[in-house]
Amino acid sequence: MVKEYNIVITGVGGQGILTAANLLGWAALHAGYKVRVGEVHGMSQRFGSVIAYVRFGEDVYGAMVPEGKADVIMAFEPVEALRYINYLKEGGLVIANSNPIPPVQVSMGLATYPSMEEIRKIIEEDFKGKLITLDAEKLALEAGNVITTNVVLIGALTQTPGFPLSAEHVKEVIRLSVPKKAVDVNMKAFELGVKAAKELLGL
Amino acid sequence: MAKVTDIVLWDKPGEKVLLLGNHAIARGALEANIAVFAAYPGTPSSELTDTMAAVAEKAGVYMEYSTNEKVAFETALSAAWSGLRAMTAMKHVGLNVAADTFLSAVGMGVEGGFVIMVADDPSMWSSQNEQDTRVYAKFANVPVLEPSSPHEAKEMTKYAFELSEKFKHMVILRTTTRISHARGDVILGELPEEIKQAKRKFGDFKKDPSRFVDVPSNARKFHPQILEKIEKIREELAKCPFNWIEGREDAKVGIIAPGLAYSYVKEALAWLGVDDVKVLKLGTPFPVPYKLLEKFFDGLERVLIVEELEPVVEEQVKVWAFDNGIRIPIHGKDYVPRVYEMTTRRAVTAIAKFLGLETPIDFESVDEKYKKVSAIVPPRPPSLCPACPHRNTFYAIRKAAGSKAIFPSDIGCYTLGVLPPLKTVDTTVAMGASIGVAHGLDVALNGVPGERDTKEKKKVIVATIGDSTFFHTGLPALANAIYNRSNVVIVVVDNLVTAMTGDQPNPGTGDTPHGPGKRILIEEVARAMGADFVEVVDPYDIKATYEVMKKAIETEGVSVVVARRVCALHHIGQLRRRGEKWPIYTVNEDKCTGCRICINAYGCPAIYWDAEKKKAQVNPLMCWGCGGCAQVCPFGAFEVMKEGE
Repeated sequence: MVKEYNIVITGVGGQGILTAANLLGWAALHAGYKVRVGEVHGMSQRFGSVIAYVRFGEDVYGAMVPEGKADVIMAFEPVEALRYINYLKEGGLVIANSNPIPPVQVSMGLATYPSMEEIRKIIEEDFKGKLITLDAEKLALEAGNVITTNVVLIGALTQTPGFPLSAEHVKEVIRLSVPKKAVDVNMKAFELGVKAAKELLGL
Repeated sequence: MAKVTDIVLWDKPGEKVLLLGNHAIARGALEANIAVFAAYPGTPSSELTDTMAAVAEKAGVYMEYSTNEKVAFETALSAAWSGLRAMTAMKHVGLNVAADTFLSAVGMGVEGGFVIMVADDPSMWSSQNEQDTRVYAKFANVPVLEPSSPHEAKEMTKYAFELSEKFKHMVILRTTTRISHARGDVILGELPEEIKQAKRKFGDFKKDPSRFVDVPSNARKFHPQILEKIEKIREELAKCPFNWIEGREDAKVGIIAPGLAYSYVKEALAWLGVDDVKVLKLGTPFPVPYKLLEKFFDGLERVLIVEELEPVVEEQVKVWAFDNGIRIPIHGKDYVPRVYEMTTRRAVTAIAKFLGLETPIDFESVDEKYKKVSAIVPPRPPSLCPACPHRNTFYAIRKAAGSKAIFPSDIGCYTLGVLPPLKTVDTTVAMGASIGVAHGLDVALNGVPGERDTKEKKKVIVATIGDSTFFHTGLPALANAIYNRSNVVIVVVDNLVTAMTGDQPNPGTGDTPHGPGKRILIEEVARAMGADFVEVVDPYDIKATYEVMKKAIETEGVSVVVARRVCALHHIGQLRRRGEKWPIYTVNEDKCTGCRICINAYGCPAIYWDAEKKKAQVNPLMCWGCGGCAQVCPFGAFEVMKEGE
C-alpha cells in the first residue's frame, strides 16, 4: 500500500476531466485505498482551464495535490499541461494529449500559443519532468468514438512507472462504469492508450 | 461507479463508496430522516440540492427549488416549526438573501431539527466574494459545524439534526468548495424505514403567538434566551464527537485546526515529519467549547491556529485566554493568510515557520521557475459555450445600443459577456441587481422624465438578467423601475433553465421534482406590471433580435425583451442522450476573406484563427451547430459540413 499517490488532471472545461477523475477515484477505492478527488464546478467549467486532483494512500487527507508533489500530470491539452507544471514533483511524468485548443485570446491575436518545443523545454529542463504526448483524439476515433478520449488517456496513465493500480483493474472499473452499448469502444480506447504509452515510454 | 442518485439511497449499511461532499450530506440528511428540503441552487452547494431533488419522490421527502434563498429558508423553517426535520442549502452569499428571516427567527427556536447548509467559496472559484459564514454564525448566535472530510460531512449532518432538536435551536452546517466538491471514501449508515418506504411525513403546527409573532414585546425576551442557549450549546460541544485532542500529550506546542484545515495540518505534519505537537481538531468553530480549550492548553507554551479566511476561532481563543489569565503566545493570522483558500502549502509553511523548520520543498524557488511559465501561457478564462444563445443576444444588443451604452448585468453564465470580444457587461454585483443598477444609473445620468432637456442625448442603458435570476430578486426591482418611471431596457436572457448551477428548473420552466408545477411566463409578468414595451425574440435569429433591441431602445419607459432559447449545453446533452445529430459548420476557404468578424466581434470558442492560412477555422469537435457564425459572416463563408456526433 502506498502512503500517497498524486495525480493531477488538467485540460479545458468540457473535455471529460471530471469523469476521468471520478473513474480513477473509484478504481483506487475498489483497490482498497483511502481516496480524495478534488474538483471545481460552476463558472470555471465553461470552456475555461480546468484542474482536478486524484489522490490515494494512507497519508492523504485534503482534496488538492500540493505543489511539487504530483507523481503524474495527465493533460487533455498541451498548454494546460504547462499551466499546472508547478504541481509536478522532480522526476514526475507528464502525459499530454497533443491536440492544442487555441484559447479565444490567441485567435484574437491578444496572446500567443507556445510551441511544443517551448513546452517540452520548460517541463523537462526547468521542472525536471518527463513529457510524453499522444494524439488521444485520433486514437479515440480509431476506437470508435471521440468521446472516449479520456479513456485513451487513462489507459496511457496506467503505464506510468510506479503507478500503484494495475491496468487490468482500472480497465475493469471502466467496463463496469460505462453504458453497456459503449463497453467495446471504451475497452478498445483503453487498450490503444496503453499501447501508445508503452511505445512512448519504451516499455 | 454506480449513479450517485442510486448510491445515496442504497440500503447497504457499512458499504464504502466514493461520494462528493455534497452527495455525502444528502445521504446524511436521508439517514437523519429528513422530511422537507428547500433550496435555491448556488455553487458550491448545488449538488446537494440536485441530489435531494432526484431522490425526493423515492424517499418520501418534500423537495422544492424555491425562487430564492429567503423563500427556501422560510419553507424549511416552517416545517421545522411544525416538528419536522428540515434543511435548506445555499451558497455563502445566499445567506445574505435569507438573512432577514434567519436573524429574526433564531430566538423563536424550532421543534424539528433545522439545518442550514451553507457552502462557502474561499478563493472565489465561482463567486463574487469570499465571506466567511462562521462570522454569520457568531453574529446570529447559531452553532456552526464544519467537516474535515466528505465522510465527516455526512456524519455531521446527522449530528446537526440531533443538536438542533436537543436545544430547539437552528444549526449551520458550513462547508467550503474543497469539501462540497471533494470526493472521498464515505461509509454508508442505516436508512430509516420511512425513507426506505418513501413515506411522506407531515407536521403539526402548534399556535403560540408569544413565540411565533416577533413583535417587540416578544422579541425582547428572545435575546437573553438566545445567549443562554448558546452557552449551553458551548458546554455540550465539549462532548461533540467531531472535536478532539490528538498528538503528544506532553507536547509544549499546540496547533488548533478548525474544519477542513485539520486535513491540511495532518498532511503538513506528516510532510514535515513532526510528531511532538498536540493538535486540537475542531469541528465546531463557533461556539468554541471552553472546556476543551482548558484541557488543550494544559502544559502548552505556544499555540498556532491554522484557520482559513477570518480569525473566528482565533478571536474566541484569544478572548478566552485573556479572560483566564493565560499569557502564552497564540499565533493565527500573523502566520496564516486571511485571504483565499487554505492549502497544504500554506499549512506547511505556517507550521514550519512556527516550529523554526525549513519547508520540505523550497516553494519560492518553484514560484521563481514558474514565472517563465506565466510569461508564455495564454490565459484561458471560462467562456460562453459554443451555440450559447447569450452570445447572439449580446452581439445584437451591442450592435443596436452601440459601445457607449451602459450594460448592467447579473449573476449567471451570461456574466461571461464581460470578456472580449463581447464586452457587454459593465456591472455585476449581486443576484437581481442588474435592474436596480440600471434604474439607479438612469436616475443618476438621465433623471426622471421632464427633469432634463429632451434635446439632450440620453445615455442608453440596457440590462441583462437570466430567467432564474429574474424570479430570484429581479421582480421587486422591475416593479420599482416601472413605478418610478425609469427609462431602461431590461433583457431577460431566458435559456429555459438555471444553467450555471447545473440545469435546475425554475418558475419559467414550470417543472418541479414532484411533477409539473405552474409555469410563469416572464413576458406576462412584465405586461401585468405595466412595462411600456414587451417582446419575446429568439436569439438564434440575430437580425430579428437586433431589430427588437432597436425598438426597445427607442421606446420611452421600461422595455422588457425576453430573449428565449434553450441553453445550448442542456440541449446538446439531450441530443446526445437521444442519439440525435446536429449540423457541424466549416469554413469555405474560398469565401473567407480573413476579416475576423467571427473572432473579433462574435467570439465562438469553436472558431479559431489559422495564422498560416490567414483564415478562420471551425473545430468540428466543439461546434454545436447553432449557425450563428453563418449569420454574422458578411461573406457567407460558414457552411454546414456534415451532421455531427
